[in-house]
Amino acid sequence: MSAYGAVRTAAGGMLRHKVQAIVIAAVLLTATASATLGFTLLAASNAPFQHAFAAQRGADVALTVNAAQAGTARLDATRSVRGAVASAGPFPEVTVQAEQGGQPWGQLTLVGRPSPSGPVDDLVLNAGHWITGPGQIVLSGTPADQGLQTGARFTVTGVPGNPVLEVVGFANSITDTADGWVAPAEIAMLGTPKSPVSEQMLYRFSQASTDTQVRDDITSVSAALPRGAVVGSDSWLSQEAQATGPGAVMEPFVVAFALIGLVLAVLIVGNVISGAVIAGYHRIGVLKSVGLTPAQVVATYLRRVGWPTLIGCAAGVAAGNALAIPVLKQSSAAYGVGSQHVPWWASVAAPLGLLALTMLAALGPALRAGRLSATQAIAAGRAPRAGRGYAAHRLAARLRLPRPVGIGLAAPFARPARTAVTLAAIAFGTTALIFAVGLHSSLSRAAASQTLSATVQVQVHPGGPGNAPNGVPTAAQDAAVTAALRAQPGTLHQVAVYNDEVKVAGMPGTVNTWAFGGDASWTGYGIIAGRWYDAPGEVDVNTAFLSVSGLAVGDTATVDTGTAVVTVRIAGEVFVPSHEPRLYASTQTLPGLATLPNLMQYDVGLRPGTSVSGYTASVNSALGANSPWAAMQANSAKFYSIAADLIGMLALMVAVAAGLGVLNTVLMTTRDRVHDLGVFKALGMRPAQVLDMVVCWIVGPAVLAAAIAAPAAALLNDATVHAMAGTAHTAIPASFLQVFPPGWLAVLSLTGIVLAVAGALLPASWAARARPAVALRAE
Amino acid sequence: MSNQDDVIRLDAVTRTYQADEPAALDGVSLTVAAGEVVAVMGPSGSGKSTLLNLIAGLDRPDAGTVAVAGQRIDTLRETALARFRARHVGIIFQFFNLLDDLTVVDNVLLPAQLAGASRRQARARAADLLDRMGLGRHYQAYPARLSGGQRQRVAIARALVNSPALLLADEPTGALDTASGQEIGRLLRELNEGGQTLVLVTHDPALAAQYAARVVRLVDGRAADGRVAAGVSS
Repeated sequence: MSAYGAVRTAAGGMLRHKVQAIVIAAVLLTATASATLGFTLLAASNAPFQHAFAAQRGADVALTVNAAQAGTARLDATRSVRGAVASAGPFPEVTVQAEQGGQPWGQLTLVGRPSPSGPVDDLVLNAGHWITGPGQIVLSGTPADQGLQTGARFTVTGVPGNPVLEVVGFANSITDTADGWVAPAEIAMLGTPKSPVSEQMLYRFSQASTDTQVRDDITSVSAALPRGAVVGSDSWLSQEAQATGPGAVMEPFVVAFALIGLVLAVLIVGNVISGAVIAGYHRIGVLKSVGLTPAQVVATYLRRVGWPTLIGCAAGVAAGNALAIPVLKQSSAAYGVGSQHVPWWASVAAPLGLLALTMLAALGPALRAGRLSATQAIAAGRAPRAGRGYAAHRLAARLRLPRPVGIGLAAPFARPARTAVTLAAIAFGTTALIFAVGLHSSLSRAAASQTLSATVQVQVHPGGPGNAPNGVPTAAQDAAVTAALRAQPGTLHQVAVYNDEVKVAGMPGTVNTWAFGGDASWTGYGIIAGRWYDAPGEVDVNTAFLSVSGLAVGDTATVDTGTAVVTVRIAGEVFVPSHEPRLYASTQTLPGLATLPNLMQYDVGLRPGTSVSGYTASVNSALGANSPWAAMQANSAKFYSIAADLIGMLALMVAVAAGLGVLNTVLMTTRDRVHDLGVFKALGMRPAQVLDMVVCWIVGPAVLAAAIAAPAAALLNDATVHAMAGTAHTAIPASFLQVFPPGWLAVLSLTGIVLAVAGALLPASWAARARPAVALRAE
Repeated sequence: MSNQDDVIRLDAVTRTYQADEPAALDGVSLTVAAGEVVAVMGPSGSGKSTLLNLIAGLDRPDAGTVAVAGQRIDTLRETALARFRARHVGIIFQFFNLLDDLTVVDNVLLPAQLAGASRRQARARAADLLDRMGLGRHYQAYPARLSGGQRQRVAIARALVNSPALLLADEPTGALDTASGQEIGRLLRELNEGGQTLVLVTHDPALAAQYAARVVRLVDGRAADGRVAAGVSS
C-alpha cells in the first residue's frame, strides 16, 4: 500500500468520527462567519463615503439651473465642458412645503427622475420600489431615518389642489441631491410663482478632489450658460464633510467589535482543533504501533481535521455573508451611504486564514504525537497528565460543598491550557457584552446631551404653512408665537434662540454663535468643564472653539457681533460635537444678535405628563394657517439610535460566538471524561448532579473571566468613547464615562457566568442523559 | 420460584444493541437469593457484562423485567435509578475505575456523598472499610501510587461504603496477578460470609468454583442449557 493509502486508511472516513467532525465543522462555521463579518465591518468602516461615492458614481457637482434662462441646447452643451467626464439631467426640480400626518414637515426639495440609475448619482433603493406613476414619492434616506414607512402620505401645501404624494420607497443619493424623487411630469404641477421649477444637472469631473478644483469645474459649466442661469450649486466635498462626521464617530466601536470577533474566532478554533488532535493521541499510539511513521501520523491527523474544516469554512463564508446583510444595512444607514457589501477579499481571507490557523493548531500537537513513542501516545491520550489538578481536588473535597460541585470546580485544573483559552474566550465575550451596555449608556447620554431630548421636547421653527415677508417673520408674528407658547398649560420653559456669525479676536473666520433670549440653563447642554453661563458677559463654547482659539475655560475673549465689540469670559466648555467653533451666550451678552432675521427657533420644555403631539397640535392651531412658524417635536438622535442597534447586534453576535466556544470546550471535556462520567453514574450520581458537576467545570474560569472582563470593558468603553469624541472634535463630560457604578458593574460581570453556563448547558444535559453503560463502554 | 428473599429477579430479559445483530441477552431469567454468591460465566460476547449492567441499572432491557432488592428498576427514571444504585448496589470493575485525581479516601467517600450521607458518618464508614481492607496507611494516597490489588481493595471499599444489598463484581481479579487475585477472592468470600449477596462475572472457572455457590453459564446471550437460568440450583 502506498504511503498515502496508509494515511487515508488510518484517517478513516468522516462518518466514523461523526461527533468530532460535526464539532470541528460547527466551530469553523462559527469562526469563519465571525471572521468574514469582522473583516466586512473593518472594510465598511474604512472610508465608507469614498467607497460608496465611487460605487454610486456620486456627483462631483450638482447644479440648480434656471431652465427658462438656460435653454435645453445650452444645458446639453455643458456636458462637454472641459474636464466633464459624465453628466446626468436635466431633471426638473422644485422646493415645496409639505405636511405629513397633519403636521408641518417643512421644506422638501423634489427632483423628477425617470429612473434611479444613471451615469451620475446612481440611487440605491433602501426600501420599497421606484416611482411607477403620478402621486408617488421616493424619499431620501431610510424608513428609520425618516420615521416613516412606505404608504405614508405627504400633502404639498401652498399649491393649487394641495396634491398628495404617497411614499413608495426610500433611496440614497450619496451626495444628497434631493429630499425626494417624483415622476418628472409631477414636478410641473408642484411649482408656484414663488417657488418655480428649475433644472438639476449632475456632473462628474476628471479633477474634483479639492475645493479649488470643484470651484473651477463649476466656473466652467457656469461659463457655458447665460449669466445668472446657475441659481445653486453643491459640491461633493461639502457632502463628504457632512457624511463622514457621524460615520467616522462609529469607527472606533465597530473596529473594537470586529477585532473582538476575530480574536474569539482564533481562540475557539485553536482550542477545539488542538483539543481534537490531543483527544486522538490514543489512536495515534495504536497507529504507530502498527507501523505508521511520524510523518504519516501528522498527515493522518491533518487529513482527519481537514474535511470538516473545509466544510465548516465554506458554510461559514455563506453564513458570514448572510449575517452581514442586516449588519451592513445598519452600518450603511449610520454612515449615510446607500449600501455596503461584503468585500470579495473578506470572503477569501476569512476561510483561508482560518484554514491556515486550523492546520497550524493541528500541526503542533500532531508533530508532538509523531515524536512520541507508541506507548507514550497511548498513555497521553487516555487522560490528562497525571498529577494535574490533584491539589485542587483535595481542596475541593475539604470544602463544605455538594460533592458534584466540588469535583466540577476542581476539574479545569486538569487541563490548564484548555482552561486558559476557554477563560480568554469567556473574557472576550463578557467584555463585549459589558462594553456594549456601557457604550449604549455613554451614547445615550451623549444623545440626550447633544439633542437636548430630555429637556427640549418641542421646537418652533419657521416651517409653517404661511409665508413671512422676505422669509423673515414680522415682530407681530414673533409676538404671536411667544403668546401662543405662554398660553399653553404644558409649557414649562421657553426661550427664543438666535443664530449668527461673530468674529472673535485671534480666531480665523467667524464663529457660529447661538444667543438665547432668556434663561437657557434648563436646556441642559452637557458641561465638559466649568459651568453654564449665569451672568451677562459670560459665554460657553465648544471644544473646537477652545482648540482653535487656544483659550481655556476662565479666559476672556473679545467678540465683535457686528453691532458691538464686547469682552466676554468663557464660563464653560459644552458638549457640541463639531469641527466648527461654536459660542453660546445670552442676547444680553451679545448685543445685536437678537434680531428677527437671526431668530432661528423657540426651544420649549414641557411640564411632566404633557403629550408632545397634543402640545404641538395645540400650538399650531393657535398660530393659525398663516403663520410662518410651526411647532414640532424636537429632532431625535437618529445616528445614536442606529449606533445603538448596531452595538446590540454586534454584542449579540460576539456573545453567541463566545457561548459556542464554551459549548465546544465543555463538549471536548465531556468526551475526554466520558468514562469518568460513566463511573460517577455507576456510583449513583444523579442526572441533576451530573448537570451541576459539568456546569461547574466552567463556572470557575467564568468567574475569573468576569473579574477580568469587568475592568477591561470599562477601560475599553473609556478608550472607545474618547476615540469617538476625538473623531467628533469634542471632549466629553465626565458623566458620559461614569456608566459603570461598582454595583452595576458587578451585576454586568455576572453575564460572563450566565454566558458560560448557557454555553455549557447543552453538553452538560447530554452528559446527564447518557446511560451509564454507554459512557463506561465509550473509553 | 418467586421468593420474598430474592435480591435479584430477572424475567425473560432481552437486550439488543443493534437491530440487525443478535441480541446480547435473549430472554434470560434469573433469581438470586439474599446472601447468595452467584458466578456468571461464559465466553467473550456471551452477554455477561450486559447482564451485570441490567442488574446494576446501568442499562435498560428491551424486553422483560428486572427487580432488585424488591423493586422493579427497569421502569425507573434516570434520577430514581441513580438513587437506587447509590443505596442498593455496589459495583466492582475489572479495571477498578477509581478516579485518578481523587485520593483513596475521597474515592471511597464519593458514593456516600452522592447519596447524601452525613459527612461524619461517611468518613467513619470509609475509614472503617479502608482499615478492614488493610489500606489504613493509604487514605491520602492517589490510586496511581497503589498496586493493582490495593486499587481493587479500594474499589471494594468504595462499593461497600453505602452498605448495599447487592455487590456486583465484573471480572474482579481479571486485571490482577495470581496472589492479588486470590487475596481479592478471599475478601469477597469474607464479605459473603458476613451475609453480603454477590454476583460475580468471571472467565475464571477456578474463581467461580472456589467462591461461588452457584454458577450461571451464558452462551450467545442465553442460559447455556437452553432453559432459564433460574432453574439452576445452588
